[in-house]
Amino acid sequence: MSKEVKIIERKDVPHDGIMLFGFPDVGLVGVIAASHLISEFKLTEVASMDSRLLPPLIVLHEGLPHSPVRIFGNHDILLAVSETAISSDTIYPIMHTLIDWGTSKNVKMMISMSGIPVQDRQDIEKLNVFAAASNPETLKVVQNKGIQVLKEGYMVGPQAIMMQYCASTKIPAITLLAQCFFNYPDPEAAAALLKELTRVLGIKVDVSKLLEKGEEIRLRARDVMKRTRQELSKMKKTQEYDIPLYVS
Amino acid sequence: MSNKRRRSIFEIFEEYFENLEKWTERFREALIEKPSWDHRACTMEPLSNIMVTPTEVIVTSDLPYAEENTIHVKPVSEDTIEILAKMKRKIRLDDFGITHYKGGFQTLRCQIRIPVSVDIDKMEVRFKRGIFEIRLPRKQERDI
Repeated sequence: MSKEVKIIERKDVPHDGIMLFGFPDVGLVGVIAASHLISEFKLTEVASMDSRLLPPLIVLHEGLPHSPVRIFGNHDILLAVSETAISSDTIYPIMHTLIDWGTSKNVKMMISMSGIPVQDRQDIEKLNVFAAASNPETLKVVQNKGIQVLKEGYMVGPQAIMMQYCASTKIPAITLLAQCFFNYPDPEAAAALLKELTRVLGIKVDVSKLLEKGEEIRLRARDVMKRTRQELSKMKKTQEYDIPLYVS
Repeated sequence: MSNKRRRSIFEIFEEYFENLEKWTERFREALIEKPSWDHRACTMEPLSNIMVTPTEVIVTSDLPYAEENTIHVKPVSEDTIEILAKMKRKIRLDDFGITHYKGGFQTLRCQIRIPVSVDIDKMEVRFKRGIFEIRLPRKQERDI
């Protein structure tokens, strides 16, 4: 675990579960999906991150301070979520520490929830969700669930670091990416992603409230989206549109 | 004798551009950083985006709670347009649990600078999925 980043446990943390990640990225898909899961499954805070690499901010809830990066959970799910955009120069130690911590809890699989921007998003009625995995066996799992594989291309951001680190440490990991707006919070994309997540995990998640509250979420999420855009620009997120030069 | 190594021109350039980038960031934060709402004007600033293509400029803005028939676009200067929209209901800061600031908002308003010449009379607009889109054809440049 990185010396610069600490995870402080507040409760007994379940072992042998699944660990999910919802970090600010295009369309805030992962954060919106994570927020909905916390409310639907009544997940409670089990741990939080303490690090000088994070911006000098705390999140106040009911007058009490909380880290912007927290881990919620129940008996079989751990969910790491950030309420602030993570800058590109701190993503590595932050993601590595979270994954190392999850590994210490014997997590069976890591799943990152995020988005893939599409230019004609306004005109798309049914959003596609794509998946990539850290090894061929895990990729087979998502293929068997009927989820489309993101075959070629670039991935930029926290999920890219998660995939790379999990591949090198042989931890089964999946990234789910829902088609979304690049610059605007996209609750519909979060709902589409959660529908696919239910297929992977074999659980039920009701997304009707998420869709009903779409306008409220878009209004609330403006400021986080604005700051996330600045970080996405610095990490050259538009590289995901690039045609890869991969010679097999 | 001094041990100080002479720096190459590339290192000097690199340092210059790094400093320039940091300075630009500080300048941007000092000038552009402001709340996304104005309690005196009772307005909230929606997110917006601009894309310049060879033939047109496409401006979009995310307008949650906007009443479609109240959305207006108007030029406010030679190179700036303003998007205004009334919201379906009044939003108060305490709706978000914020009690240390007071304010209620019923209008979305943002101003966007258009970096090239456009023909505003020929603009086309649409409102779909909560996103307001404005297409402004670029004025023809002179042939070389």
